[in-house]
Amino acid sequence: MTEHPNVTIAADDGVVVASLSGEIDLSNAAEITDALLGGIPNEALGLVIDLSEVSYIDSAGVRMLAELDHRLGWRAQTLRVVAPEESRSRRVLEIAGLERVLSLDTTVEAARTSVQDPSEEPELPDG
Amino acid sequence: MTSPFGIRGDRPGVVPRISRDDLVAILVLGVLYYAAARLGLRLAIVEDNITPLWPPTGLALVAFLRYGWRLWPGVAIAAFLVNLPITNVPAAVLTAAGNTLAPIVAAWLLERAGFRQQIDRVRDVVALVGLGALLSMTISATIGSIALLLSSRIALDGFWGAWTVWWAGDAMGILVVAPFLLCVLTWNQVEPKLGLRRLPEALVMLALLIGASVFAMWNTGQLLFLVPPLVGWIAWRFQLRGAAPAVLLVSTVAAWAASQMVGWFADLSLTEGMLTLQLFNATIAFTAFFLSALVSERTRARERLQRAADDLEGRVRQRTSQLVEANEHLGHEITERRDAETKLRRSEHELAEAQDLARLGRWEWDLGSGTVTWSDDLYRIHGYAPGAFPMTFEKAVELVPEEDRQRIERNLAAALAMHRREVPDIEYRIVRPDGELRALLGRARMFFDDAGSPVRMLGVVQDVTERVDYDRQHRIAETLQRALLPQDLPMVDGLALAARYLPAEVGFKAGGDWYDVIPLVGGRVGLVIGDVAGHGLEAASVMGQLRMAVRAYALEGHRPADVVAHADSVIRVVAPDEIATMMYVEVDPASGAVRFVGAGHPPPIAIEAEGARYLELPKQPPIGVAAGWAYEEFVVDIERGAKVVLYTDGLIDRRDIALEEGLERLLAAAGTDPGRPVEAVCRELITALVPGEAADDIAVLAMERLPVRDEAFRFRMPAEPAELARMRRALGGWLRGVGVEPEDTNDLVLACAEACSNAIRHAYGPSAGTVDIEAHLDDGAVEVVVRDFGRWRQRRGQDGGRGLALIEALAPSMRVERSERGTVVTMRRTLRGAVSV
Repeated sequence: MTEHPNVTIAADDGVVVASLSGEIDLSNAAEITDALLGGIPNEALGLVIDLSEVSYIDSAGVRMLAELDHRLGWRAQTLRVVAPEESRSRRVLEIAGLERVLSLDTTVEAARTSVQDPSEEPELPDG
Repeated sequence: MTSPFGIRGDRPGVVPRISRDDLVAILVLGVLYYAAARLGLRLAIVEDNITPLWPPTGLALVAFLRYGWRLWPGVAIAAFLVNLPITNVPAAVLTAAGNTLAPIVAAWLLERAGFRQQIDRVRDVVALVGLGALLSMTISATIGSIALLLSSRIALDGFWGAWTVWWAGDAMGILVVAPFLLCVLTWNQVEPKLGLRRLPEALVMLALLIGASVFAMWNTGQLLFLVPPLVGWIAWRFQLRGAAPAVLLVSTVAAWAASQMVGWFADLSLTEGMLTLQLFNATIAFTAFFLSALVSERTRARERLQRAADDLEGRVRQRTSQLVEANEHLGHEITERRDAETKLRRSEHELAEAQDLARLGRWEWDLGSGTVTWSDDLYRIHGYAPGAFPMTFEKAVELVPEEDRQRIERNLAAALAMHRREVPDIEYRIVRPDGELRALLGRARMFFDDAGSPVRMLGVVQDVTERVDYDRQHRIAETLQRALLPQDLPMVDGLALAARYLPAEVGFKAGGDWYDVIPLVGGRVGLVIGDVAGHGLEAASVMGQLRMAVRAYALEGHRPADVVAHADSVIRVVAPDEIATMMYVEVDPASGAVRFVGAGHPPPIAIEAEGARYLELPKQPPIGVAAGWAYEEFVVDIERGAKVVLYTDGLIDRRDIALEEGLERLLAAAGTDPGRPVEAVCRELITALVPGEAADDIAVLAMERLPVRDEAFRFRMPAEPAELARMRRALGGWLRGVGVEPEDTNDLVLACAEACSNAIRHAYGPSAGTVDIEAHLDDGAVEVVVRDFGRWRQRRGQDGGRGLALIEALAPSMRVERSERGTVVTMRRTLRGAVSV
């Protein structure tokens, strides 16, 4: 498993929760992507990326999330992104138009539930 | 005027007939003569026919002078009629003959003497007195006296007395009357004309003269002396036109007084009275006419002189203008000739130089016969006298070192095999007789016959030794120097910085100049400029070490004087034989305090609103000269908007001008347009001071302490993703510092970071460049400008547009300008909250 200082991964009950922290930009987006991809086992139902502790994210982070979603989609794994209301991350994702592509949650618990019971929300089409 | 004695008519010697006009003239003359004679007789002293003044004689003379002697019958008859009542017929006839003959002779003599009737020359006066009066009148006196003697009117012993009186009377008639008549008759022929303007003066003089004459004559008190000055004055003022009437008037008054024996003449005997009267009249007449003629002559002389002067002036003017013209022409010609000579000399010089520079030699090789022909220059290039020995291919190749010989042979073989006209250029060396190696560049053509066999080669050879050496040295030194100098200057808050470096174009001089800008803690910055003595690789390498040493000491936080002192120590170690001039300047943009430490370096220039001046710092030695010298720093406080220019001596020290003049020129160039930006200062100083090729390295470093209102954000980052965070913090800090709300701040930082990321991703290759960020407040908005200096490649990845989309959402008015020199992204966002500027 690739480790990254900005990434904390915890797997529980088939759901991998990756808590990101600090700043995500061009300088570390690729490494974070690698760390996340390396941290999600094949048998996992899905991935929750928690952006609550992220102080800065820009288009590199947005690109990273879009790419992860794409990749996980091949494997029929669900990606949920946690971005609290009024947070900086949420604003960036909204501006970038990602809320129409990704599934956003405001808390990790909500995200985890959505991963475990995908029927609550319609399955997103691949890519 | 035709001569009155000349012969009229076509045929000489024929006496013309007397015309009716002549008869009238004779008659008129006769009547006038008679009247004048009667008048004259009233003044008779002796008997009744000898008078002290005999006016008719003057009348007759004037008549003969003006109208010719043919009027003589009028005179003769009138004289006869006058004398008849006072004598008998024979005496009257005799007297009349004498009275007629005398004026005829007088007129003839005067005519011969060239007498002018205007009597405006001294010689006319002398002629009139001598010939006209004294000499001619002896005739009438003699004949008249004989007539008196024959008619027994006088005794023999009274003959001379009578002769004298007669002679004097006739002479006075000539002297007194003739000038008056002539004056009247020639009145309008005399210059200057007398206008009415002078009438009052004339009347006053007339009155004075009459008064003086009458008073003098009727008074016994010897007052005659009153009269001559007055007559003289009149003659002086009016010349003949005043003198003649005055003389007539005075003489008449005097003669009348004498004849009446009154006044002054009362106590005199007849003889005494006669003598006195004649002397008086003669004196008056002669003096008056002499003076008048003299004045006339003077006047004419003055006029002639004036005319001559005018004429001379005109000619001088004309001559001067001709001279000026000629001079201009000459000057023009000289200039043209000089220009032509200069041109000729230049073209000759240029030709010689070109030939010398080119060092071209020519050769021809006849492949059939094997004959090789060299041009004279080719012999010289090889170090031989032209035609020193017959040339063959083998001989030529012998002059080439072994390793190059093979290359030549391969080149030739390849050309023959390829069967091509063009033989590839080849650079090779030769060994001269003295062992010197020279580098040559050879070019050749091959010629073939119709069958396609090579028959002939033609080639030129150029000596490129110096160029090769020079090019190599210069290239290395310049490359080294460029590598050692800062690629770009850091951005420093509150300062604008610019630098220029111009390597020497000629000779091996590139190498020793350097400059540096070192950001220090607390917003301060260190500026360095220096010049290692000497040039070339050695100097460039010393310069590189010094630059790094100065940078290290400055960053360690040493005081400016210590930085220079340490540099002094460093140069002793790395290059004991070298010296360098340098100046280290520490600037605090906030306070404006500038600390200078100079080490033998030319003085810095301060440019303020009112112009430029040298900052005269105390002199300190260059580094590497005086071991242990205690360098001192000197503080100068500069205003906002002021600039400081540092430079190396290549800017002022030129061979063709003195150092002082270079400094003056630099100051003048620096003082023009004090408001221009530092970039322009650097560029324009070099253009102004070194218009052509630089003979020495030139480095110029300029700094401006920016005005307070320009609190712009300036940041330069390496185009590396890892640098983005630093940029974000700096920009965020600046935005918060100028009072921008957190949400605006966050959005602007994000937009800027997106632009920077794009530049990092697209503008540069693996060896990254830099990205400049500028931000400033502008009327309730923030404008952020992101500038890179690369050329964008095609977009990589599918989703490169996300960044721009983000920027557009965050800063709706966004502009992207791409050019050869890079890309500029300008973003502008209107702020929500009010911002205190």
